[in-house]
Amino acid sequence: MTFLRLDNIKKNYGDVSVIKGVSFSAAKGEFVVFVGPSGCGKSTLLRMIAGLEDVSEGELYIDGRDVTYEEPAKREVSMVFQSYALYPHMSVFENMAFGLRMAKKPEAEIKAQVAEAARILQLEPLLDRKPRALSGGQRQRVAIGRSIVRHPKLFLFDEPLSNLDAELRSQMRVEIAKLHRSLGATMVYVTHDQIEAMTLADRIVVLRAGLVEQIGSPTELYDTPANTFVAGFIGSPKMNFITAKVSATGPSSLVLDGAAFVGGKLVVETPAAGKAKVGDTLTVGLRPEHLTVEPAQPVLALTLDFAESLGGSTQLYARGEGEPIIVLTAGRPALQPGDALKLGIDPRHIYLFDAAGLAL
Amino acid sequence: MRISTGKILHAIGLTAIVVFSLFPFLWMVAASFKSQADILASPPVWFFTPTLDNYAEIFSDTKVSGAIINSLIVAAFATLLSVVLGTPAAFALARYDFRGKSDLWFWFISNRMTSPIVLALPIYLLAMSMNLLDTHLVLILVYLTFNIPIVVWIVTDQFKSIPPDLEQAARLDGADQFTIFRKIYLPLGAPGIAVSAIFSFIFSWNELLYALVLTRRAAQTAPVVATSFMSGYELPWGKIMATGTVIVLPVTIFALIVSRHMVRGLTMGATK
Ligand SMILES: Nc1ncnc2c1ncn2[C@@H]1O[C@H](COP(=O)(O)OP(=O)(O)OP(=O)(O)O)[C@@H](O)[C@H]1O
Ligand SMILES: [Mg+2]
Repeated sequence: MTFLRLDNIKKNYGDVSVIKGVSFSAAKGEFVVFVGPSGCGKSTLLRMIAGLEDVSEGELYIDGRDVTYEEPAKREVSMVFQSYALYPHMSVFENMAFGLRMAKKPEAEIKAQVAEAARILQLEPLLDRKPRALSGGQRQRVAIGRSIVRHPKLFLFDEPLSNLDAELRSQMRVEIAKLHRSLGATMVYVTHDQIEAMTLADRIVVLRAGLVEQIGSPTELYDTPANTFVAGFIGSPKMNFITAKVSATGPSSLVLDGAAFVGGKLVVETPAAGKAKVGDTLTVGLRPEHLTVEPAQPVLALTLDFAESLGGSTQLYARGEGEPIIVLTAGRPALQPGDALKLGIDPRHIYLFDAAGLAL
Repeated sequence: MRISTGKILHAIGLTAIVVFSLFPFLWMVAASFKSQADILASPPVWFFTPTLDNYAEIFSDTKVSGAIINSLIVAAFATLLSVVLGTPAAFALARYDFRGKSDLWFWFISNRMTSPIVLALPIYLLAMSMNLLDTHLVLILVYLTFNIPIVVWIVTDQFKSIPPDLEQAARLDGADQFTIFRKIYLPLGAPGIAVSAIFSFIFSWNELLYALVLTRRAAQTAPVVATSFMSGYELPWGKIMATGTVIVLPVTIFALIVSRHMVRGLTMGATK
């Protein structure tokens, strides 16, 4: 059942078009994450859903109701800001109670709701404090608490964890995931962070320059990226791209020419072989974590530039005839910079993109 | 502990400024406790028998006490009204875009660029034709034209420094514009509002030119009365200085009370 629906939403600031027609829908209880490079319009889109930004064109529905031109407060959404946006002159209690007071709820109900939110977020000992007497993580919790007291239909988060340090961030990430499960609420979440996107999302919306590049579950985006942009954006470290030319085609295989390949050639089995012609330029995508070191059947012959040990795993930076290649491998291979590096890959893990960058 | 030359020079400079600005003030207060003979003594006497005669004289003079009450009424209303009228204007200027906004802003600022004396005659004629001469109202109205720009100027700046996210969070919480103004902007803008209120009050309290031009007797303010002592053959310095002290005292106390609000960084902790 569709709970949130964006229908060809556009946003212009004067002559500048920032959101160029975004459509998608989310089911009730779904956790949707917007990702994309800085400036692609994630916040703008989120703020349009909240009603803080006018929609230039298109329609917006929440719970079956057209709210395109509805007042923010009447949309029954709540938002957690990157800056937390706590009222500095009010206590934690008053911060959380503010929305309920605006709704003219009876005092007893306000107390009960705030107490409930404080219990869920472990804020009980802090209720009398002012925001300035809280740590970053506590402030973040209050901001989340403020958003849950009113039982909104839709939760919006704009990079809520980006101001926290790494440890607190992963802790809060788990808490948000728990909160989502226990409230069963629909959430839209904006982030830069790969891990947040992959772990929290039921569905990820990848945006670029005001347009949707792909929508799908984290594993769908990882396994079948629609284009080189999504392929490069999802996954860390980034997917390696190698340009190659089609030199022969078969019914279910392609022969690719490229200086980086062992013997200058790579044979790829693919059901999409029919879509390529001899002479086409293709982009071959290889994920760093899929490449294997010193395999039985090497695909790439390169030279090691340098290696970074991450403790349990090692990141290798290699160079050959073409583009530099990054490899993520378990353990600590006994290799020195300048050593020859042979890499292999399971053929099922080879991604192919056409000249326009679209998946073959 | 080593004390750098820079610090010493700094201290000397500060001392010089403090002495320079406080000396006339001390002189006035001291003179208000002297007899006329001590005041006129040359070289000046530093040690003298203090006397309260001057104060006794001015407080028994209904002209002085009446003038102080007039000053209080005029300054209090001019301050109150300029804050009441100026802060919503500042809110609009700080947070909304509307046609003519920059012109309006310039008009507020440029108001202060005209020399007051230029407008004294037109305002006098205006007040006369409206039968407002020698009333509290005319002074309050004239002072508003000076105070509102100060309030708008200072408070707009203060409001602009409040993170816009707060307003948006409040909008999502269901607050209307007036509630946002009252519950978010007024408390967080308090330091700026206090500063502008001090300026307004001090200006209205001390203002002499318009008070001199627009009042006769009923609405005469304290500075006018202090100068009116200078009309005789012999200048009653003790009375003038005592009146001066009485004029300066309330503003000093007022400034001390509100200055505590000025330094409190209220917006701390709002955002990361
Ligand atoms: N008021 C405005 N006037 C003109 N352009 C604006 C305005 N607000 C935002 N933009 C532009 O809209 C684009 C999208 O901004 P937005 O804040 O949505 O990006 P974002 O994806 O959230 O970026 P980030 O990840 O850095 O937060 C940016 O290029 C920005 O410069
Ligand atoms: Mg943003």
